[in-house]
Amino acid sequence: MKIELKKFGDVLTSRPAGREAFAAIRPTLDPTVSEVQVDFSGVLSLSPSWADEFFRGLDGLYGNRVVFLPSDNPSVKATIAILHAQ
Amino acid sequence: MAKSNNLIPISEAAKYLGVSVMTLRRWDTSGKLPGLKSPGGHRYYHRDTLERYNAELFRLAQTWAASEIAPDIPVADYSDTQDRFRARLDTMANLMDRNPETTGSAPLVTAIAGEIGNNSFDHNLGNWPDIPGLFFGYDLNKRVIVLADRGVGIRATLLRVRPNLKNDTEALTVAMTEFVSGRTPEQRGNGLKFVRTVAIDNPIGIALQSGVAIATIDKEDPKTLKVSLADRNIRGVLARIEF
Repeated sequence: MKIELKKFGDVLTSRPAGREAFAAIRPTLDPTVSEVQVDFSGVLSLSPSWADEFFRGLDGLYGNRVVFLPSDNPSVKATIAILHAQ
Repeated sequence: MAKSNNLIPISEAAKYLGVSVMTLRRWDTSGKLPGLKSPGGHRYYHRDTLERYNAELFRLAQTWAASEIAPDIPVADYSDTQDRFRARLDTMANLMDRNPETTGSAPLVTAIAGEIGNNSFDHNLGNWPDIPGLFFGYDLNKRVIVLADRGVGIRATLLRVRPNLKNDTEALTVAMTEFVSGRTPEQRGNGLKFVRTVAIDNPIGIALQSGVAIATIDKEDPKTLKVSLADRNIRGVLARIEF
């Protein structure tokens, strides 16, 4: 299963928006799949506040079955790095 | 369109701002500085629009953040709600992305402006001392973004979880360097660490003040965080991003 973040907008920076995004996608998620891919293509800017809210929701459902697809976007790279450092 | 004292033809507006008429036409087309068009196609500008554009953004924000009674600020620079800030940040990000001179900076600069601006709302919700909301202004031509709020400030926020913090300098240092949240037990507290890391790793300058403490990272080398005393107190948070 693949989640395309661009469906939630191209600027993903606030906590309320991250929470709203996860609440919106939650009913469509199948908790039994073996892997969930997160696709960052089309995202202009991502920051830790949005990502923390959205990925914490995904983590609760899937744990280590979440896979971040590669991205050249520097804000995606920096955000993932700081979430992993926490 | 009748010419009034408040409406200035494009040639005079160009002289006032010290740019060419062609530049003003380009800014009008891009939305950077919209003009008004007469039925005959002539461009005019409101005098107060030009004055606001010419005002130094940072001084405006600093005065707003420091004053005992909040002075009026231009509507275009004020976001009363987080949704309004979100919409304006989207606009800025897309303007940056479409301009070849700023497109490379758009992802990270938007992300750190978003973290600072959203912090203002997240940490002051239901707790604004007087005026809610955020000053958010930018000049992409000068490559500067300014944000300010009249909230409770970083020390008051962190005192909820770190009651032994002695002063603004210590609070700002903790906020910029440690994973600690003023909204525990929520998993928060990485926003200003992100701002610091991004500014240190990239050609981005930051000056972020809360109370009498100011954290700075120069745009050029040396890329290190310095926390020092500012020359005046401000109420909430005041930040300048240069890129």
